[in-house]
Amino acid sequence: MTSVFQLVWDCWENHVKEHPQYEAIVHWDALGKPFRWTYGNLLEEALKIADNLMHQGVKAGDVCALILRHNKYFYPIYMGIAAIGAIPAVLAYPNVRLHPAKFFHGLSGMAQKSGLDWVMTERELELSIKPLIINEQSTIKGIFFPLEWINSQQPKELKYELINKSRNTINSSAPFLLQHSSGTTGLQKAVVLSHKAVLEHIKRYSKAIKLSEEDKIVNWLPLYHDMGLIAAFHIPLALGIPSIQLDPFQWVSAPIILFQAISEEKATLTWLPNFAYNFLADRVDEEEMEGIDLSSMRMFVNCSEVVRSESHKKFFNRFQKYGVKKESLAACYAMAETTFAVTQTEPGFEARMLTVDRNALARKIVQPPQYAGLEKICVSSGKPISDCLLKIIDENGVELPENRVGKVFIKSISLFDGYRNKPETTSQVLKDGWYSSGDIGFLHNGEYFIIGRGDDVIIVAGKNIFPEDIEDVVNNVKGVIPGRIVAFGVENLETGTEDVAVIAETSCEDAIEKNPLELTIKQAGMDIDVTISVVYLVPPRWLIKSSSGKPSRKANKERILVNNVDLIKK
Amino acid sequence: MISGRLKKVILKVLKLNSFDLYDETLAYQVPGWDSLSHVIILAAIEKEYGIHFRVAEVLRLRNLGDLQILINSKITNNNQG
Repeated sequence: MTSVFQLVWDCWENHVKEHPQYEAIVHWDALGKPFRWTYGNLLEEALKIADNLMHQGVKAGDVCALILRHNKYFYPIYMGIAAIGAIPAVLAYPNVRLHPAKFFHGLSGMAQKSGLDWVMTERELELSIKPLIINEQSTIKGIFFPLEWINSQQPKELKYELINKSRNTINSSAPFLLQHSSGTTGLQKAVVLSHKAVLEHIKRYSKAIKLSEEDKIVNWLPLYHDMGLIAAFHIPLALGIPSIQLDPFQWVSAPIILFQAISEEKATLTWLPNFAYNFLADRVDEEEMEGIDLSSMRMFVNCSEVVRSESHKKFFNRFQKYGVKKESLAACYAMAETTFAVTQTEPGFEARMLTVDRNALARKIVQPPQYAGLEKICVSSGKPISDCLLKIIDENGVELPENRVGKVFIKSISLFDGYRNKPETTSQVLKDGWYSSGDIGFLHNGEYFIIGRGDDVIIVAGKNIFPEDIEDVVNNVKGVIPGRIVAFGVENLETGTEDVAVIAETSCEDAIEKNPLELTIKQAGMDIDVTISVVYLVPPRWLIKSSSGKPSRKANKERILVNNVDLIKK
Repeated sequence: MISGRLKKVILKVLKLNSFDLYDETLAYQVPGWDSLSHVIILAAIEKEYGIHFRVAEVLRLRNLGDLQILINSKITNNNQG
């Protein structure tokens, strides 16, 4: 149905014409009653915002950064931006522990690299953001506080013609939204997606998951994450399916609220990063589960981290008695660069598990285990969705057959055109229409299995972290030898995600000096909102260098994990 | 004032040798206390004191002083019950 529309706005508007009373979004608040938006009142509010934006000088094609906490008016503000043909870009509201200077640095970098035109945020951030507007190099033209417009809005006649005129200057190939792929401190890469890319993706992915009018989507993920924004916000909104939006901060403090929302709203679908399966299984109290019914759920889709069989088993064993069905444990492979999904497991069937030989897998060969104790279970992310192609490539660029491990390359109708203002980075990953994902995986019986990253990116709870960001901040810690640091991820089977570890060279020798140094290194990580779980302090010249002369992350990770050297302070 | 017992539980979960904790201390000021470890810390406290936190109670906590007051009130209720 989405293919008959040129713009995503047209799709939303059509729902208002056909069924304005249909429920569009249920805004969930664990401390109060949910607020229920219908298509009719959602678009009415969005048009008021659009009118305000035009008065402020926002034009079609302008990039509008949205930095707001969980708020029921987030949705009409986002849609109001789209109503005039401007481009919404959802950014994370700064976590309280993120150092203000780091937030400013990150936003400043993003403003320059992503070309942000306007910032829409809350009054609390005014002082932090305003210096960016004064900065001559900044592209940011102004800062607004749209939540205040809503509270002080006087009834007035909206200039629909002007809003429509502004929107009509763009076509289906025009940028619709901007999302940031990954990164922590301004190194984020901006992905611009056109109306066409988003609408085409909605059509294809909704078919892959057999989405119907009977469905109801529940989401705790932040909307600056592609999984939250595309899968759990845009897809249902475009298709006339209600979504329940939870506060991510509330969810991590009280994970039970996801189950309360599922049970009360009879939700059918949700997307979760792998760590969330462990988190829910380990952290939801049995007493809290009283009266919870999860039997309405037809799919829990595991995505955005390596899918781990232990996590699925743990989740199923814990919540089977509350109605979780084995066949609801699904998986998907997705990324911002392809709008969202690339592959998806078959709805109604549990994601396939494949037991392989761990040693052979290290040699990039997929085969059954030769001896007991060598088993590794890999979980399928399913088959490519329509108009999406994958290939597995070796280090020489040669395409590999089934059961051989290599780098994952993707071609898709919903592929991005490139990172905004980053032609060099784009040319490194986009060649002849194929996108080099940086992931490692294999093909088996027509299904793709993603088993890790080909580079050093650390994935913690679905969030990509560049090790160089951590190394940069630790580099400034007094007591650490500059340039003699490596950061890397270590798989944590208990939590179902990765922990961040740091090895740093120091001349400090005894525990009296080392203990506070370890603490300072962990605090440096906090400044960029990264939790460093383990700090290894090693003597000078301990780190192994790579051929480039820099300390090698891979070699030093192996060394520290394999050799439990006594002199190391852990 | 943050009791030695509560401090011990928190530092143990966060694998910290020592760190000063006050009533005004906010979770994000303690190394390693992030959104994910928050729930692990609360679970460890529940186990240590044999108490249970409700969702609304957890979401309303502002600082360590609030947490200590909540624990104290629950212990008192348990003793009275």
